[in-house]
Amino acid sequence: MTDRNPITLGRPLAARKTHTAQYSLLLLLTICFCLATDLTTWFQNWRGNRAESGNLMAVAMGDARRLFANHFFVKADSYFHSGFYPSIYDNLQSYKTPHIAEDSGAMRGKNTGDETTFLGPSRNWIDRFGRQFFPSVHTHLTEGGANGEQKEAEVREILPWMKLSSDLDPKRVETYSVTAYWLRRMGKTDEAEDFLREGLRENPGNPQLLFDLGRLYSESKNDPVRARNLWEAGLSNLQTATEEQKEQNKFVTEQLLAALAKLEEQADHPGKALALLERLKAISPNPQAITEWINGLNQATNRNAVPVR
Amino acid sequence: MSTTLTIAGIVIKDLYRRKDFYVLFVLTALITLVMGSVNLFHDDHIVRYLKEMCLLLIWICSLVIAITTTARQIPMERESRTIFPLLAKPVTRTQVILGKFLGCWLACAITLLVFYLFFGVAAMSKEHQWPLANYFQAMTLHWIMLGVVVSMALVGSLVFSAASANTTICFVVVTFILLLGRHLDKVAMQVPQPASSALEALFFTIPHLEFFDLRDLVVHDWPPVRWLVCLKAIAYASAYAGFFLLAACLLFRRKALT
Amino acid sequence: MNAALSQDCGLPTPSQATNPDITPSAESILRIENLCVDYRTNTSGSRSSAKRTVDGLNLSVNQGEVFGFLGPNGAGKTTTMNVLLGFINATSGDAYLFGTTVREPIARQRIGYLPELTYYYKFLSAEELLRFYARIFKIPRAETERRIDQVLKLVELEHARKRQIKTYSKGMQQRVGLAQALINDPDLLILDEPTSGLDPIGRMKVREIIQRLKTEGKTVFFSSHELGEVETVCDRVAILDQGRLKLEGRVSDLAEQYRLSLEQLFLKVVGYSPSKPTHLPS
Repeated sequence: MTDRNPITLGRPLAARKTHTAQYSLLLLLTICFCLATDLTTWFQNWRGNRAESGNLMAVAMGDARRLFANHFFVKADSYFHSGFYPSIYDNLQSYKTPHIAEDSGAMRGKNTGDETTFLGPSRNWIDRFGRQFFPSVHTHLTEGGANGEQKEAEVREILPWMKLSSDLDPKRVETYSVTAYWLRRMGKTDEAEDFLREGLRENPGNPQLLFDLGRLYSESKNDPVRARNLWEAGLSNLQTATEEQKEQNKFVTEQLLAALAKLEEQADHPGKALALLERLKAISPNPQAITEWINGLNQATNRNAVPVR
Repeated sequence: MSTTLTIAGIVIKDLYRRKDFYVLFVLTALITLVMGSVNLFHDDHIVRYLKEMCLLLIWICSLVIAITTTARQIPMERESRTIFPLLAKPVTRTQVILGKFLGCWLACAITLLVFYLFFGVAAMSKEHQWPLANYFQAMTLHWIMLGVVVSMALVGSLVFSAASANTTICFVVVTFILLLGRHLDKVAMQVPQPASSALEALFFTIPHLEFFDLRDLVVHDWPPVRWLVCLKAIAYASAYAGFFLLAACLLFRRKALT
Repeated sequence: MNAALSQDCGLPTPSQATNPDITPSAESILRIENLCVDYRTNTSGSRSSAKRTVDGLNLSVNQGEVFGFLGPNGAGKTTTMNVLLGFINATSGDAYLFGTTVREPIARQRIGYLPELTYYYKFLSAEELLRFYARIFKIPRAETERRIDQVLKLVELEHARKRQIKTYSKGMQQRVGLAQALINDPDLLILDEPTSGLDPIGRMKVREIIQRLKTEGKTVFFSSHELGEVETVCDRVAILDQGRLKLEGRVSDLAEQYRLSLEQLFLKVVGYSPSKPTHLPS
């Protein structure tokens, strides 16, 4: 005898209905997925690939990442000063160019004013009392740091912020220059080279980075040939640049010309050196020094040149 | 005093039976460990960024614990009506307030002890030194500051009807003081009257919690602050905490329990 | 006014109904003298007015008595209890516990209080809660442990002593409330609706506890709407209505005098007259 109980009869039916719903949903999902993969290709062919970066953080933050990158660059400078740094409410005349950049030669210094006096005299007893709870003495990590006894290797402490700054804004060239300089001073030549090459990947042919890489080969790896190649590549890239870009890259042009001139001088190629120095003199803010250099070179090679005024 | 300590004990028990503390500690530890494992130019001795981030997390977590724990004490007692069986005992309202303050403050002490211990271990793993005086000083002043915050939140819990409103306002005020308290007088000089006078008055009225923030000194290995200066700071904080506690006692005395 | 109302109900005034043998004396555990309590209420509009919830209440409870404090909702019973426990201040008049004014916290050293709505710290277990209250009473540690065992056994919560209160049922929470009211071995118990929300078995157990306390010489002052229970356990009752004492006396004396049950007497005192039954439309 078959069981005619409606409750027990209903169970397999309910189970069948559930399974049917699940299979239908799965089929629908599969169809949607296939459609999506097909349509994406069609859409990209129609509009083109609009993806600018594979870095999710970079895309999510948008242009704000440049703000943060700048902030972390300044933070590195703050670390360079062991925390003694002006706030946005203090006089910044003496901190316009971060000292880590100025010391490394990556940027031309614009600092005026006394670095130690941005806080000014105490305004009241709260200000006077409060200064004992935060760094209030000017120091550099390269000059003993907070307690006057720290070794220069403590400069490593600026590296995380420089790395973060470069990750957030890979187009900011001075981050790579400054970091590479300090890495070289710490004896980390390979790391400096890798970092500069990473910068060149993000900024192909950038003359500043080519200069720094050349300097690394010249000063740290004792490879003047590669250095020359890199510097010449940098100069040739500058020659193809627009007038505006040339104006912006005036400082690095001077650096490239000076470095190449020195290299040629050391390689006993005075003619090439002089030609470079002439070009340098035309754009240098200190032509007198260049003139003296030229005169010195001429004297060294015993040329019969009239002293140039 | 024993009644006050008994009430304080209940607050501490409440804290460690809730999940807040454990969640925050695990979060801090995780973030610190992840950051510490990052390879930065093959240099294992870079430690200051780690110290700074860890201390920032500790400060945030301690403020969260202090403010949220304190803000819910009196409102929770009133809402859950546990205040009635408590006050039906030989307990005064002043003892309840002092007990709550002491409980929250001691809970903060336990929290800070655990967090700073972790911080010390994390920092020592990289820099292989343990400037005990600096860490002890930083932790002590941090704890003293939290005493002011706790007393402030306690007054807020009696003024504002909702614990959430009190929590939010306390966070805003404390953050404002920590970030801008030091600079208010500078800003006052640059704005016209009457805003200048108002800011100046505010500058001299608010408790300057930034005095107790020794993070920069700890991160950058500055020598410890002179102990006499620390004592003066503790006296300064005690005055403010005492003022807030007195206000809380007076408010609670007049407050209806329902 | 009191006399007029009482006379309208055909009942003697409270002073007449009071047993002349029991006079307020220094032996009174609980004494209320001309108590008046006003609450400020905000009416619709900007003005606030004062509402008198207790009006000239005079009451005393002697040692060893079980005293029933009755009245309809809003009569002023809870307000009176709040004054006794120091939760609110009286507008005028005073109240004394063991001869000490209720404004002093020490007056509450020898009392136990069970509120109507029993809420305790949910994160504590019963044992921890009792230990907490025992510490407030400054009971020595050894004595505390002994009393905790004793009261938990009395309220039948030994099996759940280590579980957090948040896992307790309503009846269990009520029993925890009773336990915390007894932890300091009080001489006076103030119970506000002690059987509220309990099943019949729970109510019976509470009655048994009250009677047991009575045999131990404790004084119990409680309010309840369960008039059957009140009749069974109370020695004396007082009926409050609209803040005023309407009737006070021994249960047996009142029953003999008026030949009414306590419920009927209560309804008469508060002026309730049942309306004629109306027939429902067919």
